[in-house]
Amino acid sequence: MKSLKEIASNQKKDRLFLLVIAVFIGVMIVTQSYLIVRVIDDIFLRQKSFQDVLPLLGGLLFIMLLRTFFNYVKSKRGIRMATRVKRDFRKELLTHFTSKPVHLSQQGQTGHKVSIMMDAVDEVDNYFSSYIPQVMVTTFVPILILIVVMTQHINSGLIMLITAPFIPIFMMIIGMKTKAKSEEQMEKLAAFSGRFLDTLQGLTTLKLFGQAKKQKETIKQSSLGFRDATMEILKVAFTSSFMLEVVMMLSIGIVALELAIQLIIYQSISFFTAFFILLLVPEFFTALKELGTTFHNGRTSMGAAQNIIDELANKDESVQWGEKSLDDESFTMSLSGVDFSYGEGTFTLADIHAKFPSNGQVAIVGRSGSGKSTLLQLIAGLLRPTKGEITINSVSLHEYAEKDWYNRLAYITQHPYIFSGTIAENIAIGTLKESTLKEVKQAAEEAGLHKMIQSLEKGYDTQVGEAGRGLSGGEKQRLALARAFLKQPSIILFDEPTTGLDIKTEQILQESMKKLTENSMVITVAHRLHTIKNADLILFLDKGRLIASGTHEKLMESSLEYKVMVSVQKGGREL
Amino acid sequence: MKDLAFVTRLVALEKRDILYSILFGFIAGISAVGLFAASGYLISKSAFAPPLYALIILTSTVKLLGFTRAMSKYAERYFSHRATFTILSNVRVAFFEKLEPLAPGIFQKYRSGDLLARIVGDVESLQNFFIRVFYPPIVLIMVFLSTVLFTTFFSVYISIIILVGLILTTFLVPALFSLRQAKIDSAIRQERGKLSTEVTEFLHGYRDLKIYQRLGEKGNKVEATANQYLSKQETESIHKIRNQSINAFIALFITWTVLVIGALLVVNGQLEGIFLAMLLMISITAFEDVGPMGVFPIYLQETRTASSRLVDVVNEEVKYEELDDLKLTDAPTIKIDKITFAFSGEWRNAIQDVSMDLPTGSKTAIVGPSGSGKSTLLLLILKMIEAEKGNVMFNDKSINQLSEESIWKECNVVLQENHFFFGTIRDNLQLAGEHLTDEELADVLSKVNLDDFQLDDPVLEKGDNLSGGEKQRLAIARAILKQGKLWLLDEPTSSVDALTEKFIFENLYQEAKEDTLVLVSHRLGSLEKMDQIIVMDQGKIVESGTFDELIAAKGYFYQMKEIEKGLL
Repeated sequence: MKSLKEIASNQKKDRLFLLVIAVFIGVMIVTQSYLIVRVIDDIFLRQKSFQDVLPLLGGLLFIMLLRTFFNYVKSKRGIRMATRVKRDFRKELLTHFTSKPVHLSQQGQTGHKVSIMMDAVDEVDNYFSSYIPQVMVTTFVPILILIVVMTQHINSGLIMLITAPFIPIFMMIIGMKTKAKSEEQMEKLAAFSGRFLDTLQGLTTLKLFGQAKKQKETIKQSSLGFRDATMEILKVAFTSSFMLEVVMMLSIGIVALELAIQLIIYQSISFFTAFFILLLVPEFFTALKELGTTFHNGRTSMGAAQNIIDELANKDESVQWGEKSLDDESFTMSLSGVDFSYGEGTFTLADIHAKFPSNGQVAIVGRSGSGKSTLLQLIAGLLRPTKGEITINSVSLHEYAEKDWYNRLAYITQHPYIFSGTIAENIAIGTLKESTLKEVKQAAEEAGLHKMIQSLEKGYDTQVGEAGRGLSGGEKQRLALARAFLKQPSIILFDEPTTGLDIKTEQILQESMKKLTENSMVITVAHRLHTIKNADLILFLDKGRLIASGTHEKLMESSLEYKVMVSVQKGGREL
Repeated sequence: MKDLAFVTRLVALEKRDILYSILFGFIAGISAVGLFAASGYLISKSAFAPPLYALIILTSTVKLLGFTRAMSKYAERYFSHRATFTILSNVRVAFFEKLEPLAPGIFQKYRSGDLLARIVGDVESLQNFFIRVFYPPIVLIMVFLSTVLFTTFFSVYISIIILVGLILTTFLVPALFSLRQAKIDSAIRQERGKLSTEVTEFLHGYRDLKIYQRLGEKGNKVEATANQYLSKQETESIHKIRNQSINAFIALFITWTVLVIGALLVVNGQLEGIFLAMLLMISITAFEDVGPMGVFPIYLQETRTASSRLVDVVNEEVKYEELDDLKLTDAPTIKIDKITFAFSGEWRNAIQDVSMDLPTGSKTAIVGPSGSGKSTLLLLILKMIEAEKGNVMFNDKSINQLSEESIWKECNVVLQENHFFFGTIRDNLQLAGEHLTDEELADVLSKVNLDDFQLDDPVLEKGDNLSGGEKQRLAIARAILKQGKLWLLDEPTSSVDALTEKFIFENLYQEAKEDTLVLVSHRLGSLEKMDQIIVMDQGKIVESGTFDELIAAKGYFYQMKEIEKGLL
């Protein structure tokens, strides 16, 4: 991904268009001044009749209309550009997020990503809708005016040429000073500005301790502190504007004085020329001044764009899938020497070997942080081993078509996501096939949800969502089970919930597992002894390594660590 | 304008800065007009080769006006910004004053985490009110009226034209613009909300979507929503520039009319030709500042929305009932009688017909699966939320007759989320009482096994530099310091390891020996010492009794215990 500047320079057609418009606007400005001066000159000095100047006045009105029109077209083009760029950015971000391996999408930065997708993209707007068009106009217009003035009266042109550079110089000096100053004040500002939110967030605590009323003073003090710190920075900025205006005024003043002297003492120029120049000079400086203001806007956008670009640059290799179709009735899965690492110096799984029997029940156990969930995601094909291979019927997993694999797979996470929509829709999302309401109901029945859904006023049409508002943890878990029942997959991956389930859900979980294993291979990250004891194969992980595998009985005999872990259970702990 | 009453009142507090802003704004505006008028006159005058001294006086005037303009512009900026930030401070304080009596009930009501962020955002956007909505039109109108007055000395017709221009560009066009802006604004907000939901779902539900192979479908939906949002934004931008263009053209047209009428008057001898250039310059300059009026409605709409949203938050039924204070000399007896409660917007009661007795000095545990209503029950006892049906009695006094503040004063509370403020450990502990000495504070830290904390250690906002377990222990320490007679603890040690939990609980029971205590827990260990255990499921009590009774009954609690035993 390129920087904003590069994106802008790629929009060649738009830039050319804007340049042409800028030329038009420049010509309009000059012509407008010319016509005004002609009219006044004719009336005031040449004593012409009103009829004589009528065509000039008509022309002037037309020019004014054109000037407004071209300005409108310019801005509109900028807005169009901004819309296009924003659309492209969002699209690119979406593709970027879509192709990212799954683990990164879980690293708690969802809030940050949402803000990039929403706010950062919106902030780019200014760059294209106002900065770029303005830059085109403000770079061209002053040059044109300068040339015109030069042709009319060289001295005025020279005065402008000498004084104009002071504007960017001042801007730069002030800009540097503001930067140093604001860095100095940054910490102060951050502390002050966060205080209000901090107090609001802690209001419950404050009230419980009867301290809320006193906070008024704190808020006031920090707000005033914020004001004073900000004013320090702003004063510098205001001084810069002040200097700018002084330069402008001085310059216009000198030009005017020089013109007057030429006009009176040397009588070397006409009233027409003098007035014409006097009208043009302010336009010249206004354009330069506007460039400064726009530049400031552009900077904010560039910062936002940099965030987007950084996010896009944060490339991870996406998981590639093959073409091979997977239609075997039953299948076996094996892991041979599987390694995985999230990146240099981070967590790793190393050298995992295992062979899963078809329709078997596999339990992955280990302490928290031992790599259980990572292994489950590798098996799901969401991640790709950095070394070694996972094979299905002796063919590497990622040689199969992605569609075929996920058609056969269900994955029940600890916190199943509930999308906004009806309950029926949320169950039906489990399969790509069109499912009838009858099938949905059947699945809900099997997951022990039917009765509860029936008791709702709107039944299966009840709206849920905003991450499953209104559903308890147990109900969400059962809804995920219903999705699996509807799908009838060949392989089920299950991240068993650790705590907090109601008895009914617990019972349903056990029954459902029994039912589901009849026709599927079930691989569970297990927290329940019950599940573990029923497993045909247990993989016991410790610090990313497979330290033992086998059945419960076998492991109880062969692995001391396993025995210790199973006997010192969380629930068995007594005070 | 009723929405803006709240903020207008707060703006009016800063009379001095407002006055200065307007004064210097006016001087800056009028000197700009004067400057250009003088230079127009200067150049016309020069055409007649006047004496040099006249010329010098004129050019000095021009210079002086220029300098005055720059100076007063600086002053205007300085005072207006200072006023803006002082007003921001006023708004914060005033809003806090209004919000404070409503908290924390109001947070329960909204239940969405972004309420606070929205409040802060809205308060921030009110700072635009003064600087972009309130005073610039006043300055603009003053400058214009002075200009109009000045031009009447030369030509009444021209002054009327300028007056018409003023009305058109500062009132009529912006007002018309305002009307549509309100509609577009709400449409954009709606689309933005939709997109935000879609994006959040896409990212949060990513793994599920991937496995259900709905990623592409959802992605398309996100894109479609994004494009709708974009097209609404584009409509707004184009609407904006169209109005700005219309306003700009009207301004140019007025200048043109001034020229036409001026020319006619000169030709007919009703106006001296020497003034024509000057009047034209006046018109051009006066209308130069009209441009910003084009965006005035946007800020007006923005601040209006922000203001009315803020007022909505704090305007909710503030009840000014005379309530008694809860005064406890001993541990209270609490009777809960058939209470029912539902969170707004949810289709099911969080608490359904719950009754229980908490005798004086008793220790009660409430257990049950997540979402069974345990925490809600605590909130009801605290009067942070109020039951729709049923009653809570403190020593035979209904909670409805007691003030919330007095209940909180008597309670040692640890909630699931405990807030810690930017400052030091000492600051955060001293919330429980400013008179507490360092020894007392250090002593309580050791009771929660936080001996290695120094009182001067820094705490970041929300306690971000503390781990979950540390925050819980610090919250317990703070509660111990409060020395109330009623303890309400909501999973106070869920992030603390078993050994430390045991240590803390022993100290806690020692502290609470004589007091009434309610402990919400989803862990079932360490409940043997409790006088009663209440088991909840789906907002109802399913059974209650002592630990031994419940185990013997082999009911819900027993089964929960069995499952917990089977957990690794």
